[in-house]
Amino acid sequence: MRSRPLLRFLIRRGLVALLLAWGVTLVTFVLTNLVPGDPAAANLGQRAIDDPAAVAQWRAEHGLDKPLPQQYLVFLEGLLHGDLGTSQQSHRPVSEDLAEFVPATLELAGAAIVISLVLGVAFGLIAALRRDRLADHVLRMVSLIGVSVPTFWLALLAFYVFFYRLQLTPGSGRVDPGLGAPPPLTGLHTLDAALAGRWDIFSSALGHLIMPALVLSLYTIGLLTRFTRSAVLEVLGQDYVRAGRAKGLPGRVILFRYVLRSALVPIITVAGLAFGSLLSGTVLVEAIFAWQGVGQYAFKSATALDLPAIMGVGLVVSGVYLAINLLVDVLYGVIDPRVRLR
Amino acid sequence: MAPRTHLTALLLATALALSACSAGGSDTPSAGSRTLVVDTSFDLKTADPGRMYEATGLFIGKAVYDTLLTFDGGDVTKPVPALAKSYELSDDGKVLTLKLRSGARFSDGSPLTADDVVFSLTRLRDLKGNPSFLLDGVKVAKTDDSTITLTSKTPNPALPYILPNPVLGILNSKVAKAHGATTDAKDKAEQYLNSASAGSGPYIIESFNVSNQVVLRANKKYYGDKPAYDKVVIRNVEAATQKLNVQRGDSQIALNLSGDQARNTPAGLQVKRTASANVIFLFATRNKAVSKTTANPKFAEAVRKGVDYKGLLELAGEGSVQAPGIIPSQLLGALPPEQAPKRDVAGAKAALAASGLTDPKVELEYPSELTVNGLSLQPLAERVQANLKEVGITVALKPTPLTTAADNYRNGKEEMGLWYWGPDHPDPSGYLVFLPGKPVGLRLGWKAGADKELEAMGDKAATALGDDARKQAFADLQTRLNDSGPYVPLIQPGQNIVTAASVTGLAYHPVWTVDLADLGVK
Repeated sequence: MRSRPLLRFLIRRGLVALLLAWGVTLVTFVLTNLVPGDPAAANLGQRAIDDPAAVAQWRAEHGLDKPLPQQYLVFLEGLLHGDLGTSQQSHRPVSEDLAEFVPATLELAGAAIVISLVLGVAFGLIAALRRDRLADHVLRMVSLIGVSVPTFWLALLAFYVFFYRLQLTPGSGRVDPGLGAPPPLTGLHTLDAALAGRWDIFSSALGHLIMPALVLSLYTIGLLTRFTRSAVLEVLGQDYVRAGRAKGLPGRVILFRYVLRSALVPIITVAGLAFGSLLSGTVLVEAIFAWQGVGQYAFKSATALDLPAIMGVGLVVSGVYLAINLLVDVLYGVIDPRVRLR
Repeated sequence: MAPRTHLTALLLATALALSACSAGGSDTPSAGSRTLVVDTSFDLKTADPGRMYEATGLFIGKAVYDTLLTFDGGDVTKPVPALAKSYELSDDGKVLTLKLRSGARFSDGSPLTADDVVFSLTRLRDLKGNPSFLLDGVKVAKTDDSTITLTSKTPNPALPYILPNPVLGILNSKVAKAHGATTDAKDKAEQYLNSASAGSGPYIIESFNVSNQVVLRANKKYYGDKPAYDKVVIRNVEAATQKLNVQRGDSQIALNLSGDQARNTPAGLQVKRTASANVIFLFATRNKAVSKTTANPKFAEAVRKGVDYKGLLELAGEGSVQAPGIIPSQLLGALPPEQAPKRDVAGAKAALAASGLTDPKVELEYPSELTVNGLSLQPLAERVQANLKEVGITVALKPTPLTTAADNYRNGKEEMGLWYWGPDHPDPSGYLVFLPGKPVGLRLGWKAGADKELEAMGDKAATALGDDARKQAFADLQTRLNDSGPYVPLIQPGQNIVTAASVTGLAYHPVWTVDLADLGVK
């Protein structure tokens, strides 16, 4: 019986997410079609001037001769069948392109999330427990740098220092070009290499992953450190913590069962929000580390006015965003039973 | 307290483990394994020779598809045999006869025949792809199993210079047809040709991705000399990162460094500095509906005399040269450097006074994110703005995203523009498009009949036969364009290619940048 409110809560949140996803398709569609510039001209180049018939034919082939509302309906219909259209630059189905690039970005963003959660929460805890001591000052400084330094600059700097100067990390791309990618299963090179037992590729892929993931996570680490610190400090001052201490509970129990659990709700909120900045950060980090992810694909699609590809990327990114928000909501429910009843 | 100590220890251990992992992946130079890593900034759309038109595409196309004729290294003044062992242009310049060599075969082992040649060239012409115009009005026919004739309506002395372009690469017609290739606009082979290659070149496509990376493998069935590298990885990398990669030994070739970036290259690396064949130019529209100011020919003269070319060269950095005319310095018919426009502020002011315009204000549009050989157009535009200010022309800069700017440029909406032109084939005839009534001329509202004398010079240049006559005709044409045309040729930025010490045989080529099959290992 206890799961009922949680289940109802999940269904309600799921429906809201669906509604939001539909809203996203509408907004992306309108925005991409508002862009000044003619996709036909962008794709046909010189021929666009020499041969107006070619332009008309191209527009007809890509369904651009129909009125916008009808184009939207065609797009929605395709979407329901899992068809995102054909990219005008790669001439492949957008879904195929995305299937190739999204895992790369997920691998990068996923690693960055894990790093930020582990380091951010740990740093925040340490800073709170050592309040106003050296560790606190150092960690607060680190978090300030993380939050305030632009990611692309950090990426360039990290590339220069760790790859070029110190020669600690490997360079561009996801894996050493001499080795090549592992047999594709999930699209995550580290996982695929491990599954295939190719440990040489695994270590190369992991090596390539570390620096961009760290750079990408720095902002989130900074944010999480600050929020964890203040949340933990607030909980530490509560009566029930003092009562627990007075009762002689071990420090470990107080820290993990009392303090951290109560502090988790604001931490999760911030982590969810920070994910958005993490996604936008991938575009630049991918460019600098030549990471073959969806960021570069999005950039290329945008500059080539490849409308189906832009739409596809928009949908995936917002889909991930919605999923994260849903996850955050669910986690609230799991951590704090009061939330389920609302 | 215990938990804190554990936590710190754990963090330290994690950090150490992470850095150890990363160090493991770093020490993997590719020199011994015969893998060549080339970093370049992609402008890639397709690997289908019939549709490609972009620098990165031509670079890949050259490695994968053989053409009837080619050029030797970077010398573009004389086409030499490739799949055709000899060629002969008829006295009237209309019929080009090519004899095919024997023994050439495709990467699947099947022999390359005259039918493949006829199919490939016809497909290119009738596909209505971006490069189709190269064979406009050229009839392709097979006379016997080893003879091909290309017949043009008018004398076409440029044809031998067009044939080496990778877009005229010969396809395995059986394979291509099986994957939807036809000789009309219904052709559907592009998707296949983007994933596999159907050519006879020294390399085959192993994987192809327009945004990220292309991997080539040596063609085991290649009939010519085996290429030195078994595998070539071509990566899309930012110019700044390209430099660090090649310095660290992570790649062997960085194709797109600007003059500034190629300066102070450490010992042990080789730098190939040459003027590229890209000409950056200004233009002033002749379309009165777009601008009454710039349509005044005296205005264009004032701009031409007002620009400080030496200053622009300093900005452009090493390897760059002033463009003597609209035809780049490497090509037949280029003007000698001393005939290039010069700065003459007094002359510019006089021209402006003669134009009857007072305090003209114009808008200069250019693609904001486009770089030509690593050189951004932004600083050039700023310098031009400052130069013209001294003459009395107020220029408002209008940096615009490439696709939007290209739209405005193509549709003739720009009052003044800053653009560049790279040669489709290293023959001056490609530059006739700048004349009135021709594609580029029309972008400026310069319609046919606007300058009959110049157009007659263009017709003469197009049909002149023999190197000397052609050279003279194109030089005359450019002298006239430099005097009274709406264009202001500025500079040819340098092409700076940095390679590892181990790479030998690199030559810059204006059409395909580098021929991978020429490269060797030291």
